[in-house]
Amino acid sequence: MPDGGKLLDATNVSKKFGEFRAVAGADLAVNAGDIIGLIGPNGAGTSTFFNCLAGETVPSGGRIVFDGKDLTRASPEAHARAGIGRTFQVPTTFADMSVIHNVMVGAFLRHPHRNDARDKARAVLELTGLRPDQPARSLGTPGRKRLEIARALATEPRLLLLDESLAGLTPSELQEAIALVRQIHQSGVTIVIVEHIMEVIMTLTRHVLVFNQGHVIASGTPDSVVREPAVIEAYLGRSHRRPPPDPSPANGGG
Amino acid sequence: MTKILSPRLVIVVLAAALLVYPLVLSGAFYRDIGVTFLLAAISASAWNIVGGYAGQVSVGHSMFFGLGAYTPLLFYTQWGWPPMAAIPVAIALAIGLSIVIGMPTFRLTGHYFSMATIAVAELIRIFTGTWDFVGAAIGLQGPAIARGWWDLTFRSELPYYYLFLVVLAFLLAVTSFIERRRFGFYLRAIKSSERAARSLGVPVRRTKMQALALSAAFTSVAGSLYVIKTGFIDPDSGFGILISVQMVIIAALGGAGTLFGPLVGALILIPLQSATNTWFGGGGSGLTYILYGGIIVLIARFEPGGLFDLWNRVAPGLRGALRKRRHA
Amino acid sequence: MVFLQVIVGGLLLGAIYALFSSGLTLIWGMMNFINFAHGEFVMLGMYVAFLVVVWIGGGPAIFTLAAAFALLLLGIAIYLSLIRHVIRGPMLAQILSTFGLALLLRYTAFYIFSANFVSLPQTWLAGTINLAGIYLPVAQLVGGILAIVLTLALHVLLTRTVMGSRLLAVAEDRAAAMLMGIRPDRMQMLAWGLSAGAAGIAGALMATAYPWSPSVGETFGLIAFVVVALGGFGSVLGSLYAGLIIGLIQAMSAFWLGAIYKDIVVYGLFVALLWFRPQGLMGKA
Repeated sequence: MPDGGKLLDATNVSKKFGEFRAVAGADLAVNAGDIIGLIGPNGAGTSTFFNCLAGETVPSGGRIVFDGKDLTRASPEAHARAGIGRTFQVPTTFADMSVIHNVMVGAFLRHPHRNDARDKARAVLELTGLRPDQPARSLGTPGRKRLEIARALATEPRLLLLDESLAGLTPSELQEAIALVRQIHQSGVTIVIVEHIMEVIMTLTRHVLVFNQGHVIASGTPDSVVREPAVIEAYLGRSHRRPPPDPSPANGGG
Repeated sequence: MTKILSPRLVIVVLAAALLVYPLVLSGAFYRDIGVTFLLAAISASAWNIVGGYAGQVSVGHSMFFGLGAYTPLLFYTQWGWPPMAAIPVAIALAIGLSIVIGMPTFRLTGHYFSMATIAVAELIRIFTGTWDFVGAAIGLQGPAIARGWWDLTFRSELPYYYLFLVVLAFLLAVTSFIERRRFGFYLRAIKSSERAARSLGVPVRRTKMQALALSAAFTSVAGSLYVIKTGFIDPDSGFGILISVQMVIIAALGGAGTLFGPLVGALILIPLQSATNTWFGGGGSGLTYILYGGIIVLIARFEPGGLFDLWNRVAPGLRGALRKRRHA
Repeated sequence: MVFLQVIVGGLLLGAIYALFSSGLTLIWGMMNFINFAHGEFVMLGMYVAFLVVVWIGGGPAIFTLAAAFALLLLGIAIYLSLIRHVIRGPMLAQILSTFGLALLLRYTAFYIFSANFVSLPQTWLAGTINLAGIYLPVAQLVGGILAIVLTLALHVLLTRTVMGSRLLAVAEDRAAAMLMGIRPDRMQMLAWGLSAGAAGIAGALMATAYPWSPSVGETFGLIAFVVVALGGFGSVLGSLYAGLIIGLIQAMSAFWLGAIYKDIVVYGLFVALLWFRPQGLMGKA
């Protein structure tokens, strides 16, 4: 499909659950090397859209094309094989396995032989700064989030989807995590990140999509988007559980 | 202390003990328990592949055991085959059945699979009881007198013991092999979180099917070994729920998803079963199963990882306490 | 005429299947959990009825209420001591918990009551009634009708009362329910009580009309699976339709193929459902 070399092209994606329309006609074009943020208040449809991109949710309408392949209805496994990796909002590490074994599960995708997979896993763990031999269940939440990133990285994705992987961290942990994401991005991985922490969005991303009630209400650079009246109203104009995005780094956003 | 209990040494000692057991304890009673123990360990280890490692809890595995048991005797009674020759046929049938069960249920949540295994095992059990071709409620018998060595009817338990031991060793070797390879990693990932596994490119459904097929094949072999030794099968001894239960409890007690868990479980439960059968006499089997039910509930409630997990939790503390006493 | 009798008999038994299966489907809908011991709950209901008759000499109303109450308590006790804990754990623990419980209950019953079939002494529900040329045991007729009424009552309870809407809220979205001030733990406990209670009543009703032994629990458990699969996991109304259908199919299988085949057909139907329509008639998969 002649699309000028877009890595990911999601057009008119919508998702209905029964009568409820979670996402209505969202578009997202990602070029190789981009780092894009998806934000929106709770219930805005960001997570649903994200899950459509990751292959966990089949959209009710629209198309998602990755690297020339139509992945609209493809399974999560097919997404991974095509080169899309993802993390989960609530860390879903393999608790009964060690850290390195967790990462090896990811590494096996491109390295079927155990020794190669182990080497790959070690390399990724060095990058992410985790100790290989501890049990995954002994990690705290920041460690688990980091492990999930490592595990997804081990599948050698071209596009990495991060689902609130930087939430709930202390200020110093957050800085480390931002540095890690930047490092991953610089190594050539395109990134789409769902986040509620303004600092992450402002400092890391170059382009932001703002969702509200299933629609994309704004799209542009972080600076411009944050000033748009529609966006401000979406966050401040209604009562919701989550406080509006706070530019100060200490706020995890809930 | 840790040096003395190194895993490799333990395995060597265990293997040696198993090898000389029937020569040292040569009475019929001891050999019989030994053979029963090996058979139980084989069945439970086979179940362990899909139930322990992959976390797909089959509670109707007797369907594969029964297939493995009936097929050799069927080929013998109908066409005069030596029972042993029909073992490959039994394996093929078991794998075929595993596909029938796995295909629809593995795309649904885990409970469907478990329910399906009970339902199909019962279905087959009842149906077998009505089908004259396979002996209906009376069952089938094997060769009473050997026509040659290939009928494998030995008067002593000894050859059976070593035959079963070889099969057990082979099964454990296969399990150990897959445990360290990609397939084993994928099984454990699936057990831990299918969702995460999928996102990493693990072909979840295909992997589960392979695990089930492998498990079914070995369970079928266990069934075949059983009839080769006892020379008789009927719907209850082939497809009964208690066979399924025994496999599950032995694996779970020792530690489902570990290489030696089923062995340890069998080591404890088979002598225990023999003891309760002796103590409680006629009502023995009833009480044995009350005990089994109770043990399963306790395992589920307090230590799903079985003795293996329990040992891992308690051992470091024990070691520390022992060290303190030494230096006190 | 005989054929009509078979049909009505099947439907009446199916109504009872519907009643106890509705409990199973309720638990599934709320907690994504299958109770492998559900058939044993029914079996215990039958024996409670038996014991009440033997010890106190009570009539159907009394022993049915006793069964309901006893099983209600048992359901709650099992939830609090076992289920609540394993639901948060690995799948192995979840499945083994009620599977082991089933064995425990079944073989304890074998031990106490022996494997012999028993039936209740005649109550005022004795005798047969002639309805338009069909001869129906009164006990079966009353049991069947009562079962339909109670199943519908459960459906109404769930869909039209405050408590029912709370139960459904937890089934629908646990987190949201918590935010509305509903306590999922309490609702789940209630659901277990209801589920077991319904099974107990079904057992007591059956005890008035059919003989039984501890072995029936295993069969009823499997029948409950089939009914729930056919009716749709989570749908009480679906259980009603499915229960009636299964009862009918069973009766006709027994009539045409022979009594041994009645269970085979039902289990075969289950396997077919898994293959072709796991979401059943009316439920969510």
